[in-house]
Amino acid sequence: MNLQYTGEETIPADKAIVWKSINDPAWVGRCLPDVIDVIVHDPTHFDAIAQVGVGPVRGKFKFKFELMPSAAGDRMDMKITGGGFGSAIDLTAGADVVEAGPGTTKLNWSGQAIARGPVAAVGGRVLDAQAQKLISQTFANVRERLTAAG
Amino acid sequence: MSTETTVKGSMGVPMKRKEDPRFIQGKGNYVDDLSFPGMLYMAIVRSPYPHAEIVNIDISEALLVPGVKAVITGKDLEAAGLGWLPTFHGYDKQMVLAIGKVLFQYQEVAAVFAESRGAAADGAEAVQVEYNPLPVVADPFTSKTDAVLLRPDRESKTNHIYHWEVGDRDKTTQALAASDTVVKQRMWFPRCHPAPLEPCGCVAQFDAMGRLHFHVTSQAPHVYRTAISIVTGIPEDKIHVISPDIGGGFGNKVPVYPGYVCAIVGALKIGRPVKWIESRTENLTSTGFARDYHMDVEIGATKDGTVTALKVSTLADHGAFDAAADPTKYPAGMFGIVTGSYTFPVAHAEVDAYFTNKAPGGVAYRCSFRVTEASYAIERGMDMLADELGLDPVELRKKNFVKKEQFPYPSALGFTYDSGDYHHTLEVALEKIGYKDLLEEQARKRAKGELMGIGFSTFTEVVGAGPSKHFDILGIKMFDSAEIRIHPTGSGIVRAGTKSQGQGHETTWAQIVAEELGLDPQNILVEEGDTDTAPYGLGTYASRSTPTAGAAIAMAARRIRERARKIAAHLLEVGEGDVEWKDYRFQVKGVPSKTVTMKEVAFAAYTNMGQNEPGLEATQYYDPPNMTFPHGTYIAVVDVDRETGEVKVRRFLAVDDCGTIINPMIVEGQVHGGLTEGFAIAFMQEIQYDKDGNNLNTNFTDYLVPTSLESPHWETAHTVTPSPHHPIGAKGVGESPNVGSPAAFVNAVIDALSPLGVRHIDMPITRDKVWRAIRDADAKKG
Repeated sequence: MNLQYTGEETIPADKAIVWKSINDPAWVGRCLPDVIDVIVHDPTHFDAIAQVGVGPVRGKFKFKFELMPSAAGDRMDMKITGGGFGSAIDLTAGADVVEAGPGTTKLNWSGQAIARGPVAAVGGRVLDAQAQKLISQTFANVRERLTAAG
Repeated sequence: MSTETTVKGSMGVPMKRKEDPRFIQGKGNYVDDLSFPGMLYMAIVRSPYPHAEIVNIDISEALLVPGVKAVITGKDLEAAGLGWLPTFHGYDKQMVLAIGKVLFQYQEVAAVFAESRGAAADGAEAVQVEYNPLPVVADPFTSKTDAVLLRPDRESKTNHIYHWEVGDRDKTTQALAASDTVVKQRMWFPRCHPAPLEPCGCVAQFDAMGRLHFHVTSQAPHVYRTAISIVTGIPEDKIHVISPDIGGGFGNKVPVYPGYVCAIVGALKIGRPVKWIESRTENLTSTGFARDYHMDVEIGATKDGTVTALKVSTLADHGAFDAAADPTKYPAGMFGIVTGSYTFPVAHAEVDAYFTNKAPGGVAYRCSFRVTEASYAIERGMDMLADELGLDPVELRKKNFVKKEQFPYPSALGFTYDSGDYHHTLEVALEKIGYKDLLEEQARKRAKGELMGIGFSTFTEVVGAGPSKHFDILGIKMFDSAEIRIHPTGSGIVRAGTKSQGQGHETTWAQIVAEELGLDPQNILVEEGDTDTAPYGLGTYASRSTPTAGAAIAMAARRIRERARKIAAHLLEVGEGDVEWKDYRFQVKGVPSKTVTMKEVAFAAYTNMGQNEPGLEATQYYDPPNMTFPHGTYIAVVDVDRETGEVKVRRFLAVDDCGTIINPMIVEGQVHGGLTEGFAIAFMQEIQYDKDGNNLNTNFTDYLVPTSLESPHWETAHTVTPSPHHPIGAKGVGESPNVGSPAAFVNAVIDALSPLGVRHIDMPITRDKVWRAIRDADAKKG
């Protein structure tokens, strides 16, 4: 099951602050919805354990994250692999980090999820909405946390 | 004259099933009911990926889960020489636990052994497997290109498994070219699953002497014993296989599954009994599926509807391993029965099988090895031909039926049909359904734009595998066996190499013995499924029990009767030649007043046998001289809602001819069950995979099993044409309704839609498919 999403978040913070935050694996890990634990391995790799519920498939899923910042400092890509309950979810997500005026930064993001196993079969009817929520909520959390830090 | 009463005429009696009291009281003894001291539970880690390299398996966290005793992986098994197991027909092998890569979603990757079922599940969840996804091949058409090689372990570097063909290709091609009319259609018989209500499971236990006692849901316990010995190297005398009560098999419980090997290894490694019971999802996603045949059917005919040639080319999707449980010499099973009930002068059938990233299987789901696919192809094809020629499908069938006087009939594809009276069975069915009235009603409804359909299937099956010169599994010839012991007081026990999974053997086997010996069937105990006590047999599937073991039982009983004749002569004080078996007792020829019953002879066999050998028992192995060929006429009447596409099966009549009927009530029950499964296949069931190889029907929410609420009312009747080569003339019936009914349902729906120009819809005929067909037809008409 292959799912694709796009969205945009406007953050009331300087691009430099946004860029620094989304390059911090511990900080990014805490932006995941329903995250239980974040284990940082190095500046670009971390594991996160999150509570996931897709239809009747509910439980702890473990994800491996790889941050792939662009050298120009204007795009962050992420590769996320993981799963639980016999299911596998592979996600790729990326965001262009764009200055949108003084003290304002836009994240133009897109994501793609491939689900396999019971999550795809049993939760297939609700997976689309859940996956979209998972990805969009992560970027929304980025905005909220930076707004609060403001 | 003897004062002892004799039980007369047990054959053809609708005796209530002897096994039912324990089942209806919930006192059946199934594998999951078993518990042994110190028993562990096994859970299997399965792949979420349909095709992926295994980069790493980390079991360290699993071993820390409370209660987990051990975890094994494919590498462990490979090191012990147990990495692969042979599939039954002997020309492919299957990974026990994945080695190097996985080839289908839900493939077995690791096994976890723990103190409780919950701990085993938690341990399985804690096993961390790192995969590197590979390109997925989700259909045989893509597989055919060999763009992605799925099985590099094989010598042959292609996804093509085998090419099989039968008949005369050139003559068939010529005959089709010369025919006045040729109808062609690609038909897909979708992948479906037998879905027995009890999933597969086992308990493996080694005793103090190192002997394996293996309780398992097996339709063929003796074959399991041999297969386990071959795979593990344990001598066969150190293996005891027991199949207790089984909650349905339908072919799904014929193959040996990886979980069984893992449970045995776990029991050996840990030194404690190990139980493994599948979940519903595991059963639907990893054990033997059925069908998945893409068939290109061509039928040629003259203008008047006389068939001239049949050609069927099939692409078969076998999944990741060729685990089809077919006899060795028949990789496409009995697909050669595709000429059906008709006198094709020439025919050709071929099957090319391919690997895909799907679960392995290709089991005979309530059919004698691909007979259902063949029956569907020819019965749909004959309706298409009738439509093309503007003929009544009944008249077309009558014109081309094998005639009663043509039996034994050599078919164009190599079978010799034993007996049948197709015209008679069809006439009985037409009379019972009131065909003339239905046609008139249909004409009236069509005039009003209403959609009513009448569908026929006049199928012929081939069952009872089979004669040793043609049939074997893992090299073992497909005979069957029986042992009968008559006790001093005239009761007895019969043991057979078959294994009932609901067929009612405890009753019908007793009736055969009772009929042959004039004893009370209520006092004949039937025992199956224990390899320590039953004679070697190939088990119960493919409607083979009555044609093989049923024959062995009758012949063993006749041997006993011959031995009993000597003792009867001693008791009657006459020569053996002066004694005849008459009216279910021994009688001095010409002296009706001088008789002894079998019960009296049985007592004498242990107390007063004279010069004769004591005791009264016999063992018989039976190698059938030919297959048996049950046939039938099925008629479905449907109404289709033009607005919603909903199909209502208003009537369904099944007239079966299964030869001699042992117990008509059990036969009726078999027919009801098979029709319900055929109904499900026609309208509901499909194991679907998406293009990424995800199995989308992993539970009973998505893979539908009809209840009594959805099932139509079944009307049944019988004609009787005994098999000339079977000792009691029986042919077998368990699978006829599943084999014959799908085509009748589909033919009825297409007949209903034919005024709109709809020619074919692949199963399952769901409401949305019918609605779309109606919408598209309306759009074409503008």
